[in-house]
Amino acid sequence: MTDIHVSDFRPLQRRSDVHGISRPSLSYWEDAWIRLKANKRAIVSLYLVVALLFFTLLGPLIWTVDPGLQDLDQISQPPGTDRSAEIVADYIAWDGVDPSAGSGARVIDVPTTQVVRLKWDSLPGANGHRVYRNLFPVGNEFAYGIPVGEYFDNAIDFHEDRLDLKPGRYFYSIVALAADGSVTQTYQTVEVDVVRVTTLSEAREQGLIQTDSDLQIGDSINLSAHPLGTDYLGRDMLSRLMAGAQVSLSIGIGAPLFFVFFGVVFGSVAGFIGGKVDQFMMRFADFVVALPFLLFMILFKIAFGIGPGESGIMPMLIALVLLMWPATARLVRGQILQIREQAYVQASQLLGAKTNYLIFRHMLPNTLGVVLVTLTFEIPKAIFVEAFLSFIGMGVAPPTPSWGSMSNEGIKTMLTTPHELIFPAVFISITVLAFNLLGDGLRDALDARMRNQE
Amino acid sequence: MEPWVILAGYAFSLMKFQSYDSQRGQAGLGEEKMEHREQSFTSSAAKQLALYAFYTMVALAVIMYMLSIAAGRTGSTASGVAVDPDNNSITIALRQEPPQLDHVRATDSSSIIVLSHSMEGLIAYNDAGSLIPGMAERWEIREDGATFWIREEARWSDGVPVTAHDFVFSWRRAVDPATAAEYSFILYPIVNAEEINQGNLPPQTLGVRAVNDRVLEVDFNQPTPYFDKLVAFITYFPTREDFFNNTEGRYGADADMMLANGPYIVTEWTHSASMTWEKNPYYWNDEKGFLDTINVGYITEDVNAKLNLFKDGQISDTHLVAPMLGSAMEQRWQIDRSMDGTVFFLQLNFREDRITANKNFRKALQYAQDPVEFVYKALKEPSYLPAVSLFPYWIRGVDDSFRKEYPPPEHEFNVAKAREHLELARQELGIEEFPPLVILADDSPIGSISSEYYQATFTKNLGLEIRIDKQIFKQRLAKMTAGDFDIVVSGWGPDYDDALTFGDLFASWNLNNRGRYASEAMDEQIRIAQSELDPLRRMEAFAEIQRIVHEDVVMIPMYERGWSFVVDPRLKGFKRRAVGPEVDYNFAYIETGEE
Repeated sequence: MTDIHVSDFRPLQRRSDVHGISRPSLSYWEDAWIRLKANKRAIVSLYLVVALLFFTLLGPLIWTVDPGLQDLDQISQPPGTDRSAEIVADYIAWDGVDPSAGSGARVIDVPTTQVVRLKWDSLPGANGHRVYRNLFPVGNEFAYGIPVGEYFDNAIDFHEDRLDLKPGRYFYSIVALAADGSVTQTYQTVEVDVVRVTTLSEAREQGLIQTDSDLQIGDSINLSAHPLGTDYLGRDMLSRLMAGAQVSLSIGIGAPLFFVFFGVVFGSVAGFIGGKVDQFMMRFADFVVALPFLLFMILFKIAFGIGPGESGIMPMLIALVLLMWPATARLVRGQILQIREQAYVQASQLLGAKTNYLIFRHMLPNTLGVVLVTLTFEIPKAIFVEAFLSFIGMGVAPPTPSWGSMSNEGIKTMLTTPHELIFPAVFISITVLAFNLLGDGLRDALDARMRNQE
Repeated sequence: MEPWVILAGYAFSLMKFQSYDSQRGQAGLGEEKMEHREQSFTSSAAKQLALYAFYTMVALAVIMYMLSIAAGRTGSTASGVAVDPDNNSITIALRQEPPQLDHVRATDSSSIIVLSHSMEGLIAYNDAGSLIPGMAERWEIREDGATFWIREEARWSDGVPVTAHDFVFSWRRAVDPATAAEYSFILYPIVNAEEINQGNLPPQTLGVRAVNDRVLEVDFNQPTPYFDKLVAFITYFPTREDFFNNTEGRYGADADMMLANGPYIVTEWTHSASMTWEKNPYYWNDEKGFLDTINVGYITEDVNAKLNLFKDGQISDTHLVAPMLGSAMEQRWQIDRSMDGTVFFLQLNFREDRITANKNFRKALQYAQDPVEFVYKALKEPSYLPAVSLFPYWIRGVDDSFRKEYPPPEHEFNVAKAREHLELARQELGIEEFPPLVILADDSPIGSISSEYYQATFTKNLGLEIRIDKQIFKQRLAKMTAGDFDIVVSGWGPDYDDALTFGDLFASWNLNNRGRYASEAMDEQIRIAQSELDPLRRMEAFAEIQRIVHEDVVMIPMYERGWSFVVDPRLKGFKRRAVGPEVDYNFAYIETGEE
């Protein structure tokens, strides 16, 4: 047996490092941020959203092209088209005189995108002529191409083609007409290589050259750049997409901010007071859910005296705010009801906490995760609604673009110039997907019950 | 909720499901291991998803392929092929369902197409579009009236002869206010027609009578030298009284509620789906109606659908719009063109409270735009012509075309002059800034391009604020009638083959003058054009109208509409017309290879 000494019964010396914490304490938000960072999808989406905000807010400062400006030299131009052009004189009508006095079907002057001048000698047995333009040789089918001019009169032996000329090769055919005006198989073809041109006045108007520039006719210049091409009226797609983003995102983010805030206030009041008030308030929310959105949007448009050709964005915003809050309100009310019964709230109450303290310290912070998640899910919904309404013509007024109205315009020429549809559609899709995935990541990150699983 | 929302929601719920799984998979594992596990899980989940997507695509492709085969089968059995030489029949598509086929009340182009095949007036058109005898074998137009001698062999499709009484009955019905025919005004040259239509006189007082079964006498209010062209219009077609009374108010509502006197009989009419026209055995003229059957297999406005039907050999002809021309050239089709007859213009509002009532302001608008650029650069339709006048180029003058005899005043595109006039207008109106103007337009692709082009042009050249009001066709007409616009993109098509069909549009009494333009000089010229018998003086009046329209900027011409179209090469004699039916199969026949 060992001896027990009295000194063994002395209390230990107080040490300060007994309860030392090995890791720094994490706040709720720090923890959520760490877990959000681990979610690659959410982070990529976050970057996308930030990039989109840059595109919307800073883009127009960098790319200062007017989204309403029509560049009629470059209509429905896909991105990446060659844009060097020669400067020519302004168009002057032609009286059909051929200075070189040639014969047969021939081109007078240099064929340009401004005008192609054709002259011919009357074909044998013709009662008049039709001028056709083709992208392909005529061949055995007598497929002359598209008829661009018709003269039921042999005295007229020239034609000026100014219809939507693109640089490249055309096959023009002069076809003899029969006595009844029908097309015969007598024709002459001339191959034409069209060069891209612009005029000094047009270049000045587009801001390509200064007024005091010493550029001469015959010089070569680059037409204005359109990184994403142009639409059916020659308007710049990139600047239209930016302007459209402002509309789409202001509705998409603005409306949910308002109605989620309202929903939180409404839901927490209902949940906190409870009882009859809660019953009454929630039945009112049910009533609002039953109201048809489109009808109300139209009613607001009329009630506000929004005339034709004026933007329908305000009534859309108000209709969204007034009709879409109940979902958030229900969610928050449910949360509040749950939290109210939690032990820590009761403990806090027993310790004498006041109502204000309970609400601001316990209730609201605990619903914030839910609210944030709802917000990120409501944003894509609102963007969709805006795009849909602009698509059917209830939203923005032209020439203001929005992604929805741009899609609507692009769908008409989907087969020939798909870029007019693809760009706005891709922007809608990416934005909606990014917000949804971000919302998804946030929900996982903010869920307090998952906090200790790592 | 809209289907796409549900679909998108479904897709996201799938993803959410995946992410729940990944969370669950992490529970209770070491950090590093877990990270590894999560990565492999994510990648395998992604693979799974990609696989599902692939399966879905394959399944969809298979289903679509099967459906297209099935559709092709049912299509070919139900409606036959585009051109069928064995049965001497063709299949065509109509743009719209005719609302009804009572020729007195019909106004739309689809009804006019059907009625021009199933009926014939006193005078008809030949394949070149000139007037030829129809139900009348000869006629006489005098200063105070006209006489028509109806041919003996004229028959209804039940074999009963067509008589002068049928015309009297029809015309009385057309001006009867109880019928409420929109085109009743076209009979106003006849004595008492206007009074009857306004309810002041009974229909029996109309200045038309049957001398006997085969002689029809008409009395005019004033000399009407173009009356022969009027009677070729559908409102002047005959109606048989006993048949009409037997239909009990449903005349023209169904195939069995119609009686034909033209080359074809409407034998079947499945509303909104199809129609069948068969050759009329009692029809007198053997230079019309060569086909045994014309099947209206499709009623659709969708030009893309019609193009596909044509490609598949389901319909005999279709028109093409600018975006289709590239692929039409690739298909190596023979593309034809024709004028539609309609002129489109910006109609201005002359009501007093409108800025557009100011002449200098209108001048500014006129100088600030160039229809040539609009047609060639913005519209890009090869068959459209930039408009230069109220009168389209095909209108006939005294001996040659009206355009050649009386060239329209030249339009000048001059922004500097436009701004001068705008400044003058500002001073005259005594305002600092112009209020925003409203352009009213149709809710169609062309309507959008037109309104947006002119919006940008007037904004760029004049600094005006322009608002666009896009409406469906009927609503646009209603707003035009109410005067609820500053500028409206509208068109005017011919009812009969005479310059007057355009010339009287801006008469102060014409209800279609929706901008309420009214000027003494214009009205005077129109009165001359309506009643002058000397063709030269008449044409001079039209030239004067043309000048006033330009000088006073009554409207701003945009374009003359045309059609680019393709026809099955076996079908000959098919016409698209400026006056009369838009598409005309009356002279169409199938060319067989043996000939």
